Amino acid sequence: MRTHLLSCLNKIKADYAEIRYEERVVTYIHWTGKELESIGTSKEKGGGIRVKGKAGWSFLSFNNLDDLPSYLHLTTKQSLLSKGIPVKLASVPIVSRIVPGSARKDPRQIDLEEKYRLTSLYNQILLSGPEIQTSDLRYVDVYIVKYFANSEGTYIKQERFYTLLGMASIARRGGNIQSAHEGVGGTGGYELVENQEEKAEKAVKRASQLLDAEPAKGGRYTVVVDPELSGVFAHEAFGHLSEADFLFENERLLDIMKLGRRFGSEILNIVDEPPIPGEGGFYLYDDEGVAAGKTYLIREGKLVGRLHSRETAAKMGEEPTGNARAISYEYPPIVRMSNTYIEKGEKSKEEMISEVKEGIYARGFRGGQTNLEMFTFAPEEGYIIKDGKLTRRIRDFNLTGNIFTTLSQIDAVGNDLVLFTGPGGCGKNDQSPLPVSTGGPHIRIRELVVGGR
Amino acid sequence: MENILKMALSKVEEAEIYREDFQNTTVSFQSNRLKAIDNSFGQGIGLRVIKNKKKGFSSITNLADLKFLVKSAIESSRFGEIALFKFPTSSKISKVKCFDPAILSISVEKMVEEGERAIRAILEEFPYLQCEAQIDKTILKISILNSSGLSFSYKKSFYSFSIYAFLAREGDFLGVGEEEASCQYQDWSDLIAQRVVEKARLAQKNAAIETGTYPVIFTSKAMPVIFASLKKGINGKLIQKKVSPLFPKLKKQVTSPLVSIVDDATFPYGKASSPVDGEGIPSRRNPIIENGILKNFIYDLQTAGLMKTQTTANAAREYDTLPSPSTTNFIVAPGNFSMEEMIKDIKEGLIVDQVIGAGQSNTLMGEFSVNLDLGFKIEKGKIKGRVKDVMATGNIYELLNNIRGIGEKTQFVGSTLTPPFYFSKINIAS
Repeated sequence: MRTHLLSCLNKIKADYAEIRYEERVVTYIHWTGKELESIGTSKEKGGGIRVKGKAGWSFLSFNNLDDLPSYLHLTTKQSLLSKGIPVKLASVPIVSRIVPGSARKDPRQIDLEEKYRLTSLYNQILLSGPEIQTSDLRYVDVYIVKYFANSEGTYIKQERFYTLLGMASIARRGGNIQSAHEGVGGTGGYELVENQEEKAEKAVKRASQLLDAEPAKGGRYTVVVDPELSGVFAHEAFGHLSEADFLFENERLLDIMKLGRRFGSEILNIVDEPPIPGEGGFYLYDDEGVAAGKTYLIREGKLVGRLHSRETAAKMGEEPTGNARAISYEYPPIVRMSNTYIEKGEKSKEEMISEVKEGIYARGFRGGQTNLEMFTFAPEEGYIIKDGKLTRRIRDFNLTGNIFTTLSQIDAVGNDLVLFTGPGGCGKNDQSPLPVSTGGPHIRIRELVVGGR
Repeated sequence: MENILKMALSKVEEAEIYREDFQNTTVSFQSNRLKAIDNSFGQGIGLRVIKNKKKGFSSITNLADLKFLVKSAIESSRFGEIALFKFPTSSKISKVKCFDPAILSISVEKMVEEGERAIRAILEEFPYLQCEAQIDKTILKISILNSSGLSFSYKKSFYSFSIYAFLAREGDFLGVGEEEASCQYQDWSDLIAQRVVEKARLAQKNAAIETGTYPVIFTSKAMPVIFASLKKGINGKLIQKKVSPLFPKLKKQVTSPLVSIVDDATFPYGKASSPVDGEGIPSRRNPIIENGILKNFIYDLQTAGLMKTQTTANAAREYDTLPSPSTTNFIVAPGNFSMEEMIKDIKEGLIVDQVIGAGQSNTLMGEFSVNLDLGFKIEKGKIKGRVKDVMATGNIYELLNNIRGIGEKTQFVGSTLTPPFYFSKINIAS
């Protein structure tokens, strides 16, 4: 493969070019209620060529290797169409490396029958409650081999395993339909999804309990959020705005996002860190062949860093961070997060709640979104806090904030950091889902806008 | 493809091959300038088999993996559900307009020119906006071959144009996104630039709103927030599982009588137009809601089998997925209000145009709770300015039963053709 890719690159007349090639084998199982929607194994092979012209890029993805010479020609030609400000790349070390995948139990060695048996067992649990109407269980294991070579001489082969399990139980009482979700997994093998009966039971219990919850009333509240939500908060509220491709050609935004600007109080630290083994966003080299490290985005409340591709780092005169990622060979790499989390603080969850006279405790996660200024993060359920105690259960509310004000309203950071992968992932431009982890400890936010009835 | 079918049929009772071949070119502008040209040349093959009456499936992207394909599909059938259908035979398939040769022949240079023109028009009005634009053309060939004798292939083309104009001001960001897509070529640059400029103009001033309930207008662009839950609600899969609030309501009143919707894959040049669905069933026009009465749910072959009814030709799929019911072109009937009339009617209320956080609530029940990414305050029949940092919360079934008016102009948003809607109340938290 190495010789083949490098000989292709030799044929390209451009100041920079790269080729990626990927093979992936995916096994999937999807249960909805008593029906097995799908089960099986598929294979995908394909590659992508990216060529840099003076002022822009051209990219081409393909499944068929036979036409490679004509693809190389087209990509080189189209890379010359962009004019104007030159595109430069930050220099990085030339790497030659093979990174093997790590899985205690290689999912390829486990037969489909065993995967069927395990998921059907979990599915039975998900369906086992008096008011449970149906379930939704998705299992997937992926084996990927990724090859990367560029015209500077870098060659990297990375192997990776992902094993993921998402389980939802859906309860119904008349017209009231409620669901609860649990997810496990990350980079690694079959061991990640074994012995998860307890999680399935939790989903059943919560779905049933949500039938008795009351819709929340909208307004401003002090909100204590659990680690799942604080992770999404870190990702949506600050992670996306740290992606330098939003900033690097926008003078006004650069002015606003000057390093050193205070966003929160001294207890707040937000980090993006790809090389955490086992997490969804784990990798050692990004899709530009750059080694990844740990990047502080917020340190003691101040903006101290951002996530870069080689292009954004060069333009901004900062160090590359190894955050250029593509969801597959079909797309060019763009600046993305990996494992993003809030570092732990000192308070216990109980202390945080006990200090609230009136507020909301929100837990579980249904999603989040940002427009770089405002953001939402949706809990699965919550409780009204009254005089420091959890009282009645609430449902169907959503949390929103403004990056420039909400971070400074965090007045307590917990001592219980947890990271979550779970199925699903992050979306940006057309590229979704990208495997990431998000996490944090419990945090408390004052005066948060809560959408409700 | 005949070979694969033969290979499979030596080991299984029935088989179906679904193949996609596609070519796509995207011209991307960043920070007002042409930045990248992306292409993809792809292919994929899905094989569905029925062995011992049970369904199996696999897919590949490389013809070198044919043996893997057949072996994996058979392996999967050991665990698959009993197939409650037969693959369709060859039948009369009517032509549907979904391919325009003009898209095939349009040059990259012309696409670049259209992008430049739109951005120039926006910058003339608002020099401080930064535009990202994507102009995209796709040519797709779908082929379906099965053991019941069906052998059909068709071509489909797409041309789409989207712009996101962004402004970062201290304490006040603004992003306006507009998009058009069709199977037919059209130069969208002027129309889209004009829409971006109109919205940016309205957003020049900010306005405040208190927590409370208000009348609200959802623009066409915002209506998919409402229809996403309704599309789930009529989906045969959710009906079969009894987790749609609509499951006991066929032939009953489910919305205001002002609402009429059809699902129509035969609509000329709609984004979801095609002569057949993902299983080779001829496309058709299915009434969904007629004057507020629920007329049909949507099905594919297997879900219809489970419900002991007929498929509605709503099987959606790609080469690497099994068919599943999904809406096609979702065509919502217009009313007779102009936008101006609706605005004039409101003493204090809102226009919702863009949201963030959609689809993250209890969408099964029709709940939504979204941040107003782009929304406007109406006071005494006039647009006062942009509202920010507010959440709008409601239930789509309640909204669709409390309609004050429906707009007279429809617009395609993705594959949904819809007018703006004027609802009597929505909950706002600020």
